[in-house]
Amino acid sequence: MTVDVAQRADTAGDRVDHHRPRPWSIVWRLTARSWLNLVRIPAATIPMVIMPLFFTVAFAGAFSALVLIPGYPTDNILSWMGPFAALQGAAFTGLGASFALGRDIEGGFYDRLLLSPASRLSIAGANVFFVLFRTVIPVAIVLLIGAIGGMDIPAGILAAVMLLLGAWGVAAIAALWGMGVTYRIQKQSAGGLVQVGVFIAMFLSIGMMPVDLMQGWLPHVAKYNPMTYIMELARQGFIGEVAWESTWPGLVSIACGVTFFAIFAWRMFQRVTP
Amino acid sequence: MSVDDSLETSAEHVHTATPPLLVQTAALSTRAIRGFFRQPQLWIPGIVFPLLLAAVNSSSLSRASLIPGFPPDTSYLQFLVVSVIVQGVMFGAIASGNELTTDIQNGFFERLLSAPVSRPAILFGRIAGGWVFAAFQALLFVGILWPFGGTVRGGIPGVAVLVVMAVFLATAIGGLAAGLGARTGEPEAVQGFFPLVFIFLFMSSAFFPTALMSGWYGTIAENNPLTWMIDGARYQVIVGFDLTEAAKALGISGVLALLGLWFATTQVRRRWRVAA
Amino acid sequence: MTRAAVQPIEAEALVRCFDEIRAVDGIDIVVDKGEIFGFLGPNGAGKSTAVRVLTTLLKPTSGTARVAGYDVESQADKVREVIGVALQDAAIDPLMTGKELLRLQATLHGIPRRLAARRAKDLLERVGLTEAAPRLVGQYSGGMRRRLDLALALMNEPDVLFLDEPTTGLDPMSRRNLWEEVRRLNREYGTTVFLTTQYLEEADQLANRIAIIDHGKIVREGDPAALKKSVGSPTLRVDVADEQQAIAEQTLQAFGEERPSRVGRVSIGLEGGAERMADVVRALDEAGIVIEHMELDSPSLDDVFADATGRRLEGAADAEEPAE
Repeated sequence: MTVDVAQRADTAGDRVDHHRPRPWSIVWRLTARSWLNLVRIPAATIPMVIMPLFFTVAFAGAFSALVLIPGYPTDNILSWMGPFAALQGAAFTGLGASFALGRDIEGGFYDRLLLSPASRLSIAGANVFFVLFRTVIPVAIVLLIGAIGGMDIPAGILAAVMLLLGAWGVAAIAALWGMGVTYRIQKQSAGGLVQVGVFIAMFLSIGMMPVDLMQGWLPHVAKYNPMTYIMELARQGFIGEVAWESTWPGLVSIACGVTFFAIFAWRMFQRVTP
Repeated sequence: MSVDDSLETSAEHVHTATPPLLVQTAALSTRAIRGFFRQPQLWIPGIVFPLLLAAVNSSSLSRASLIPGFPPDTSYLQFLVVSVIVQGVMFGAIASGNELTTDIQNGFFERLLSAPVSRPAILFGRIAGGWVFAAFQALLFVGILWPFGGTVRGGIPGVAVLVVMAVFLATAIGGLAAGLGARTGEPEAVQGFFPLVFIFLFMSSAFFPTALMSGWYGTIAENNPLTWMIDGARYQVIVGFDLTEAAKALGISGVLALLGLWFATTQVRRRWRVAA
Repeated sequence: MTRAAVQPIEAEALVRCFDEIRAVDGIDIVVDKGEIFGFLGPNGAGKSTAVRVLTTLLKPTSGTARVAGYDVESQADKVREVIGVALQDAAIDPLMTGKELLRLQATLHGIPRRLAARRAKDLLERVGLTEAAPRLVGQYSGGMRRRLDLALALMNEPDVLFLDEPTTGLDPMSRRNLWEEVRRLNREYGTTVFLTTQYLEEADQLANRIAIIDHGKIVREGDPAALKKSVGSPTLRVDVADEQQAIAEQTLQAFGEERPSRVGRVSIGLEGGAERMADVVRALDEAGIVIEHMELDSPSLDDVFADATGRRLEGAADAEEPAE
């Protein structure tokens, strides 16, 4: 009886071999799933578009007179605030990854992924990959508003490239930080803590004002905040030419931030999957 | 426990024909205040975020006070005092008004409906609960910002205007949140609405003088009632106590409060019609 | 080929702790090839924790476990290749369609596209979801979700299928359908099934062999018939008025050992079975006891459970599931 069963199982013609799944196809499939999830909840899609739009308009509108301050690096407020809004949108996108992750963990769907032989790196990496994909949206929206509202772009296409690079950096760091916290807490409510962390980092940098024009305690903090240098990298092409000395500190900040938070996220991930 | 007790007592009052509305409202607002303060995640953001933003912005934008057209002899922090209060009250009142939604979700609302509790008391108890916190916020913010240069030049009458405005505003926003909660029954929906309120705030004189805003954005900001209210209240801070300006601040926040109450009442009525 | 010789599941002195709590407390399990193994126990007994350890979602605190010959700790990847799992509550993303989920599952297992499509079609047909496949899972009924979950678990033609409380929360009709599908799988494909359940009937109906787990420990193990037999005599239940309960207990003691029961009812294991009923009635009558209700039951798995733990499982499961 048992023998019979064993034979059947081994000789069945249509039997699926235990293939080793290919990491890229998994990343791709999970990214496609995230995208479908996003567009299938309109309530989540709307803020994704509205947020960067609102921030660009509101910051440029409310603070338009800042360009009158002697020594302000540009006389076009959109060129200053647009990149800031794009990076904020990118940070939000990164946070979205941890919200989605929290939902999957709470709902048990993540177990389904972990139960498969798919490589752990591709399961975790798909989250980050999707974030990079999605970050293009706030960047595009800001550039579009800029084009309509008369933003200066002295460095042309290179400015947009730098902006996208900075946005990717911010989004990846925010996503990795958010994933780490979410793996640790394993609940959607981790989102609150994650958000606070990201926005403190954003606000303690040169979002509104260059370091030289700040007064009081903030410049001392902003000077050491890596976000300051990422913002400088992302914004440079909108207020002047792209230069290496405005680029490398940002690149180093992105590299360090991504490495540090990737290790953090990976450590926390290992608590979820043995 | 004690809330239940007081509910029962007030129920007896119904039989003895004593108007129980005030007693019930008081009992319910006591419950609301107690429940609110027992959940730090509800009230801490309303204190921490506005202060954090004030600390960052006053350092970041301090040179803005040098721009011609900025109120003379005023630091950016002083300029922000009113915005901090308004922001804090918005955070707090949304959270406390949203507690009604939580009541609806967990069935407490229905329990009240099935008890001989006067129905307006259910709503007013909720909203009155937010008053205490709003007044507390206003005093706390003034107390914290004063030593850092956020002096209120209007003195005690000036501070009084700020406190009353905070209470009115809490009624307006709390009513809006409670009404939305009664309509949707989902706390997340009410939370999701918050950014819209924030947009209104941003398109006002909360963070920058409207005189220095250009184009259509400036036009919107100048005609935003929040601007009139904030400017009236700000006058008490950066110039001194003034009755006309105070009337502007309190008049507008008062009208908003009435609108909030009206909205909440109609929505709650609608819900208990559905419940009945 | 060598794998055919190994046991699908072997666990030795398996322990899993959460802080102070020993959720799984030293269990030994051997499941034979082609068997449906039932893991029966009340809520919180440690069933799900055991499944999570066996399916590599949790590391054992101590002890070893091998699935299809692979160690769950050091060869977790290998284990994942050869198992299919349907977890409690059918954790399915409501925003995906059945078809998309099957495709994702195939990708996760590295099944080539063409083969995956064919298998998806077969599986959907088999679980009766062909028409529902293009719809969002959020619109599925509870029974449909479980069936889809089962199809997903079968995508990689697993050697061992884990079903964690597959029918909890289902209506009786859907429950029976699912049972039938599991039986068919086992019969036609020889799939080894490890099933946890809190339902006696489910264990009785499906499992060739069961283990009863309570407080993290296996308290009884064997095939259902033998287990029932091991409890021995059938259970006699006599309902009497409260004030007569003491005398009734005393009188009935002569006929067999007392068994756990609710207030107002005396239960004993009746030595000699139905033949002695007349004697029992006579004895009760002589003692002046008014019988309100009387029944004789052959041993059930619930009796096995009660014998092992001193508690009843039946009432507990019903309390959880008022719909049943």
